[in-house]
Amino acid sequence: MERLRRTMMFVPGNNPAMIKDAGIYGADSIMFDLEDSVSLAEKDAARMLVFEALKNVDYGNSELVVRINGLDTDMGKADIYAMVKAGVQVIRLPKTETPDDVVETEKVIAEAEKFFGIENGRTHMMAAIESAEGVLNAPAIAKASDRLIGIALGAEDYVTNMKTHRYPDGAELSFARNMILHGARAAGIAAFDTVYSDVDNTEGFNHEVEIIHELGFDGKSVINPRQIPLVNAIYAPSEKEIRNAKAVLNAIEEAHKKGSGVISLHGKMVDKPVVARAERTMALAKASHLVDKEGNIYVE
Amino acid sequence: MDTIKIDLNDPYYYQQWQKLIENEGLYIENLDDITETIGIYDEDKLIATGSYFNNVLKYLAIDPEYQGGNVFNKLVSYLISDLASQNIFHVFVFTKTQYQSSFEYLGFKLVAKSSFSTLLETGDYSITQYISELPKVSGNNISAIVMNANPFTLGHRYLIEEASKKSDVVYVFVVSQNASLFKTSERIELVKAGTKDLNNVVVVAGGDYMVSFVTFPSYFIKSRSDVVTYQTELDAQVFKRIAEALNITKRFVGEEPYSPTTEIYNQSLKKILIPEVVLEVLKRKEIGGDIISATKVRQAISKENLEAIRKYVPETTFDFIKTNLKDLLRRINNGN
Amino acid sequence: MEIKHTALAGTLESSDVQITLSEGKGISIDLDSQVEKQFGKQIKKVVTDLLAKYEINNVKVHVVDKGALDCTIKARLIAAIQRATDTQNEQNWGVLE
Repeated sequence: MERLRRTMMFVPGNNPAMIKDAGIYGADSIMFDLEDSVSLAEKDAARMLVFEALKNVDYGNSELVVRINGLDTDMGKADIYAMVKAGVQVIRLPKTETPDDVVETEKVIAEAEKFFGIENGRTHMMAAIESAEGVLNAPAIAKASDRLIGIALGAEDYVTNMKTHRYPDGAELSFARNMILHGARAAGIAAFDTVYSDVDNTEGFNHEVEIIHELGFDGKSVINPRQIPLVNAIYAPSEKEIRNAKAVLNAIEEAHKKGSGVISLHGKMVDKPVVARAERTMALAKASHLVDKEGNIYVE
Repeated sequence: MDTIKIDLNDPYYYQQWQKLIENEGLYIENLDDITETIGIYDEDKLIATGSYFNNVLKYLAIDPEYQGGNVFNKLVSYLISDLASQNIFHVFVFTKTQYQSSFEYLGFKLVAKSSFSTLLETGDYSITQYISELPKVSGNNISAIVMNANPFTLGHRYLIEEASKKSDVVYVFVVSQNASLFKTSERIELVKAGTKDLNNVVVVAGGDYMVSFVTFPSYFIKSRSDVVTYQTELDAQVFKRIAEALNITKRFVGEEPYSPTTEIYNQSLKKILIPEVVLEVLKRKEIGGDIISATKVRQAISKENLEAIRKYVPETTFDFIKTNLKDLLRRINNGN
Repeated sequence: MEIKHTALAGTLESSDVQITLSEGKGISIDLDSQVEKQFGKQIKKVVTDLLAKYEINNVKVHVVDKGALDCTIKARLIAAIQRATDTQNEQNWGVLE
């Protein structure tokens, strides 16, 4: 089953204190940043810091992602080689405009894997879309490589490109969010929403998470650990949803026992998307500590 | 929190900066003595600032609400990294005595301290290394003279000669001061050339430690009348540290009838150096009732008066001036 | 490898370490750390081991530790070595096991 990616926590790549503690907040994914949060003079140092951290620090079950500098900079290639060598799970491309950007990066990743004698394809990718061009190409970008696990909206650059700002209702992001979401779903990969930078505004943050949860995003990028439980709370399934999911999964089990290929529940046939949703609901329920390992709902 | 460089010529930044500096009890001396200033902001509020001039950190101030945390480390660290990006790694700070441990906590080491202040340094060079690199001599009666020699005159020659007669060995420290008309390397070479015949004279560069005491920043000295005393005291403490390592027991200075500042300096120096080092004041050399001074030589250079120059300086210095007269005049015109 | 010029990496912020490398004869390490008593030996070992891997035999090292993890010390030292030898973009992969 696909892993949960409710939260992707941004960690500045040149900050040892934050890198050291990044694993303790229970983020589903941790994204170490070598790009915008690192000044030009510190790019080399940040690369080594993240390299050593990936190899030595225990980040539990969090998925480890590194945002590299683009291949159009002097740093891009060195970043890719170092991160592939360190065994990062996902390399995140910044400012993806076209499917070619993904293909180019994939080439360098493949080259690095070969150079280090690492199995081809082990390093996954995700692409951040941060411009009008990127948004319009989102469906093609999402299908540009088998390595892609998801695409993400980077709203700060996007709104600048669109000659606007962030607003509380999110209308300015509506089109981009839908494009990215559709692109991701059509390609069968994950969709991540952008960061919300006003860390102290819990209400505004919750509102935005509710919007993207309703739309169907896999999760949100967070810049502060305090935002993680807020996202998780909104992504936690309701008791009704859990009961439904359990019923679906029980029906599957029964069908297996009977040796029947057809799964039915309440007299209706259960098809694949319903099964997938049930599995995801149970995974969310477990991650939110609403059910035990066997899937039994905790009695309050 | 964001750390940015701030432009003190911009009134918007200057006002914020001035408020923070003055609230922290610092005194703004001269903005020309600042190469770069940085500010740490919490949203729109300037909460910490620090500057540097050449390799000296200055005007460090933190809003009281933010003191005692990581802000000080952030501030000093940023300044050091910024200097490092310009290939400046040996960094000094003059500060109030109560901040000594805060800087030591960040890897700074004590150079010298006085009742008013502390001088600390960090980086790829230290006073210990400076001392270890100085030539060592033996003798019971080792003395020292500190001079700017801008340029080396017969007056300087006379002082060294007198000291040479009264000592087993004389160290001549030539002060580093880039603002001088004659470059530090030129001044050292001229002193060496002019004392070649004196076998017990060792001419050395004052380096980062024998500098003109009046260049010590004093923005953290509350009482402005204490400034000269503070500068002298700290200067004397640095000298004492070097003197101890080289077994120097006497320091010669020239009498200063026409310069009250130097006279005050000599007087307080005498008090501080004792008992480890005795200060001896030597009379100035006169030529026909005319006291020789480097200032007079520089004035003669600006008037291209070679005859007057010849009167005040040894042959070696005269030859140098004659050969480089055009260059020297150009330097004078450029503001040196 | 030879140190070409002084270089510095890292900061004085909490959990970090500031390392300055400069030319020297032999290896000398000057360590400032609040945890020197407990971890001084370990920090020096991390430094000397890595210098040995880079075959750097002549260097003066000034370490100001603010409670950095071993891997942070390594990362900062690598950055300082690369800067002091002008090899920022030519990673020595043999050393970076």
